[in-house]
Amino acid sequence: MSAITIPHEHEVSPGLWALAWRRLKADRIAMISLAIVAFFVAMMLASSLGLVAGDWSKEVGTNYATPTWFKDDVAPPPPPGTPEGKPQDDPTVQAEPHAEGKGAEDRKDESSVVDPLADVLKEVRTETANAVQAPVVARLETLPFGADKWGRDVLKKVIKGSETSIFVGLASAVVAVFLGTILGALAGFYGKWIDDVMNWFYNIFTSIPYLLLILAIAAVLNKKGMFTIILILGLTGWTGTFRLIRGEYLKHKEREYVRAADAIGASNTRRMFVHIFPNVSHVVLVQISILVVAFIKTEVILSFLGFGVPVDVVSWGSMLNEAQSEMILGKWWQLAAAGTTMAILVTAFSLFTDALRDALDPKLK
Amino acid sequence: MNGDSGNKTMSEALVSVRNLRVNFRIDKRTTFEAVKKISFDIPRNSTVALVGESGSGKSVTALSILGLLPHENSSVLPGSEVLFGGRNLLDLSQRELRDLRGKEISMIFQEPMSSLNPVFSVGFQLSEVLRLHMGLSPGQARARGIALLGEVGIPEPEKSIDKYPFQMSGGQQQRVMIAMAIACEPKLLIADEPTTALDVTIQKQILELIGDLQKKHQMSVLFITHDLAVVGEIADFVVVMRDGEIREQGAAADVFERPRDAYTQALLQCRPQLSRRAQRLPVIDDFMSGHPVSYADAPERQRGLTGAEPIVLDVVGLSKSFYSREGLFGKREFKAVHNVSFKLAKGKTLGLVGESGSGKTTVGLTLMRLHEATGGKAIFDGKDILALSNKEFMEYKRRIQIIFQNPYASLNPRFTVGHIVTEPMLIHGIGGSEQERTNMAFELLAKVGLPEVSFYKYPHEFSGGQRQRIAIARCLTMKPDILICDESVSALDVSVQAQVLNLLQDLQDEFQMSYIFISHDLAVVKYISDQVMVMNDGEIVEMANSDDIYLHPQHPYTQRLLSSIPRGWEGAHPKRA
Amino acid sequence: MTAYIIRRLWQMIPTLLGVMLLVFVIFNMVGGDPAYVLAGKISNQEQIDNIRKQLGVDQPYHVQLGIFAKQVVTGDFGASWSTNEKISNILGTRLGPSLMVLVPLLFLETLLAIAFALAVAYVRGSLTDRAVMIVCTAGMSISILVYIIVFQYWLAYKLGWFPVQGWGNGFWENLFVYSSLPILIGLVVSIAPNLRLYRTFVLDEINQDYVRTARAKGLSDNTILWTHVLRNASIPIITHVMAGLPGLLVGAFLIERFFSIPGIGREVILAVERSDFPVVKAITIYVAVATMVANLLADLMYKAVDPRVQLK
Repeated sequence: MSAITIPHEHEVSPGLWALAWRRLKADRIAMISLAIVAFFVAMMLASSLGLVAGDWSKEVGTNYATPTWFKDDVAPPPPPGTPEGKPQDDPTVQAEPHAEGKGAEDRKDESSVVDPLADVLKEVRTETANAVQAPVVARLETLPFGADKWGRDVLKKVIKGSETSIFVGLASAVVAVFLGTILGALAGFYGKWIDDVMNWFYNIFTSIPYLLLILAIAAVLNKKGMFTIILILGLTGWTGTFRLIRGEYLKHKEREYVRAADAIGASNTRRMFVHIFPNVSHVVLVQISILVVAFIKTEVILSFLGFGVPVDVVSWGSMLNEAQSEMILGKWWQLAAAGTTMAILVTAFSLFTDALRDALDPKLK
Repeated sequence: MNGDSGNKTMSEALVSVRNLRVNFRIDKRTTFEAVKKISFDIPRNSTVALVGESGSGKSVTALSILGLLPHENSSVLPGSEVLFGGRNLLDLSQRELRDLRGKEISMIFQEPMSSLNPVFSVGFQLSEVLRLHMGLSPGQARARGIALLGEVGIPEPEKSIDKYPFQMSGGQQQRVMIAMAIACEPKLLIADEPTTALDVTIQKQILELIGDLQKKHQMSVLFITHDLAVVGEIADFVVVMRDGEIREQGAAADVFERPRDAYTQALLQCRPQLSRRAQRLPVIDDFMSGHPVSYADAPERQRGLTGAEPIVLDVVGLSKSFYSREGLFGKREFKAVHNVSFKLAKGKTLGLVGESGSGKTTVGLTLMRLHEATGGKAIFDGKDILALSNKEFMEYKRRIQIIFQNPYASLNPRFTVGHIVTEPMLIHGIGGSEQERTNMAFELLAKVGLPEVSFYKYPHEFSGGQRQRIAIARCLTMKPDILICDESVSALDVSVQAQVLNLLQDLQDEFQMSYIFISHDLAVVKYISDQVMVMNDGEIVEMANSDDIYLHPQHPYTQRLLSSIPRGWEGAHPKRA
Repeated sequence: MTAYIIRRLWQMIPTLLGVMLLVFVIFNMVGGDPAYVLAGKISNQEQIDNIRKQLGVDQPYHVQLGIFAKQVVTGDFGASWSTNEKISNILGTRLGPSLMVLVPLLFLETLLAIAFALAVAYVRGSLTDRAVMIVCTAGMSISILVYIIVFQYWLAYKLGWFPVQGWGNGFWENLFVYSSLPILIGLVVSIAPNLRLYRTFVLDEINQDYVRTARAKGLSDNTILWTHVLRNASIPIITHVMAGLPGLLVGAFLIERFFSIPGIGREVILAVERSDFPVVKAITIYVAVATMVANLLADLMYKAVDPRVQLK
């Protein structure tokens, strides 16, 4: 034994993860997408720490202030009666520019039909508006992305909204994938009655369409916060991951390397987590990535309907809800801002997911 | 070139491959030259064998003749020519090529099951080619299809034509592929490893069928294979390829009897032969380094049992059944292994042969308790290891080890080799410290012939033969009494196979391990085994000393099996006589 | 075959029981006493007491479960809390409009997605393929809400090509006047994800050995794609379409709501907004049953496409 010299200094070869990262790095689209996603996540963190957009609810601009870059392009001046020189003592009056009073009436009617919470919402907003309004400040006529009905900066709302949407998307994806992975691993590895029980759960949850289940839960919960939404999405969204991971474990437990591990005496837990898990972890990673996108979209729809995050939290969904009635007045910037920001993030995330999948599983190419 | 075959001169060539170069793109920057400027001819009315190991470029060559290479990642380089009927096939348009495919030149493949479309009937797939190239009506195509199925030896062709591929055996599926290929009386049939996926008895039938059809239809056959022995009986000409280059080509008699190239010599000598048992198999390095060893001249080794050897494992009435659900409450039993009994002697090898589905692999897995036995006993060290609790069995587990078939699947791709080899020691508490285990791992890696740096590498950086060495090293850490080799050398190239077989013999000599050597390759089993057990349909058909069973097979099944072994070159074959 | 269907129906029972339990847990245990909800909706205390009695709110859970089980078995879920309309009646009248939008949408969308998927798979790896995939990804990333709001505003409100919203009485009027914009939006939203999915199904098949055989036979690429590949790829496509079918019934709620189409999806939203629990419960149970039946139908459809499937 002593005859053998051990080359301690020898460098360990790159593993499969390192190789996948190398492939990913060579993919330009993946790297651009990753940069965009990283930017959004950084923005989310900054915003949640209060570094940016902390004052999103402050009414800094005139009502429906136009986007800065847009103003010069438009031939006609801003709609008549934009309340620049008017006294600013009553924000609720301001909220309805008289030139388009008719449209506002329609909108009011419609929103009361469509959204039972509209009135509540308005009340809350008026209150906050009054509170903030106390010191009279000069309002800006243009803002980078324009302003909403109450003159709040759309850019800040978008930033604050992305904090909500990304956080909900990430957190619920982690919850759902964690559940799906654990249950799928148990079902696939042990089989027999454990598998039967898990499949029973799976069948139940897949028999009810996902959105219907979420709406049903939303219907009975009268108090909703961000964590309730995360929990609902997580508890209902595990099925896809479960099916995939179960399939992977079924496949891998028959693979020769796992049999070999069994032959050398590796315990069940060791085979499940030390041997198989690293070999299916790329599926887990891709699943998280897919679900983040799906949950961001779902959260937007739920918040739009008023079943999502609480009314005093801004999210892309609640912005779209406001934008819906603004559209009829021709005030498209809040819709454009929320819609585009979301589209950019989701596109980047999806393209990155595709690249990630290719990089982790080169056989697919 | 001698005899009649000498008359087939180059001018009569049906197909001439000239300066063929094919590149494969691996990623954006790297390309790999799979075929490096090769030239050879396929004369009319003759069989050309294209022989090579994996990665030799033989299949790529075949696919490029018909323009079937995947166009996303491969390209035929300019200057290459495949001349057929005065035209360069590589210059033809897709349309012109399509007219040629299946009509003038047709092709069959290695995996008949996946090569047929699973959702269309055999009749549909057959008549498709007849209607396309011969302009037959559906009725005519069906009638012709039935005739073709009869010709290739499918029983009850009128009924079989409406069957789906999954309703046929592998051999029948390959016959259907052949029927489709000869339907339009092609001038050239390209057969890409057509028998590799088949059992040895079926392989013999398919080889005979291809030989008969070649004569009957006066066509040429390009037969691609990794196994020289397979083509010994049917080839007129042999082309040997390695690493994208042609090492040697010529008339079959010349190549088999007077190989000039060292690599060809190695291919002929590395494979175990039935006639005698060399002490060591010649390996490729012997030839490439200029010190060729003749198999016939190597010292012989005696194998066999006298009956006085100590027994380490006594298996009595081993059975294993699988159950599948059927109907409302039904359950169907499938007896994979039924009432198998044998004794394993210390330091000796028991060969276990059988065709696919014979239950030979299940025996191994059941003894390892990787499958739960349905019945029977396995007495090891005075205990029935099948009856022990999982906890009690842990002590015995390390003493029976297994090496699997597929070296690419049996090592965890996320572990370094060092991790793979030290893991069993960690689990069984062998070696007192990390340092001690690492030292032992280095020692064992050296023993199986791997360099020290392997310890820090991942499995994907090794070739098939090297991976099998890693798997062997992993088993050796536990110093097992019994080593089960489940088709352990079947997936390896001939030249690598010899090296691993030599290693296994050396280790047995050194550690006195008993082997259960499971394989479908009768020549390899004969070579390595003291005793041979023949299985069919889950039962033992015959068991005897290795030399006896090959000289005097008693059971008709054993006789049939042994007569199917490809004999390799046995002088000029009947066609030339 | 009959034995197979019977066995499959038999196997649905535990799943249905599970669905029932889940719905029960959500509404009776998590939701609890509906009095607080009802207080806002119904001023008549007597009526509230009546509903509470019907639900057995004061009774132990197993009695409540028994009451619910009886509703499921008899299919009689009572009446809506908000409108007092019988629930069977609600579902009966809302199904028609939903199907009016969904059936044409499903057909068009499946056919178009398959055709595009084959076309894109045919030029796989090319610039066109990559461009189409990126456009699809970007298209999928825009919220369905944005599509609806913009299309409704632009095509209906501004350009006046379609009615802004509403529903008529005549079959043809509904199909061609009121359903066309909702169907168009449905197509725009669903083609991209399905095209991407079906493309992977086709690509899985295109690399199979039998495709190489077909090429070696001299078949044209079109024949190979439309005959050999399509039939094999249709197996996962059937699974996908059938599995999504019941979800579509509910999932179209945004479209139904924006265009005021009196369908099931809109009914779900209304019921959730009004905390009209019996309606939500009934729809959940019915949709769950529909999902199970759709799965069974999918299995029966495999048999038509794939001879290897044996319904034992």
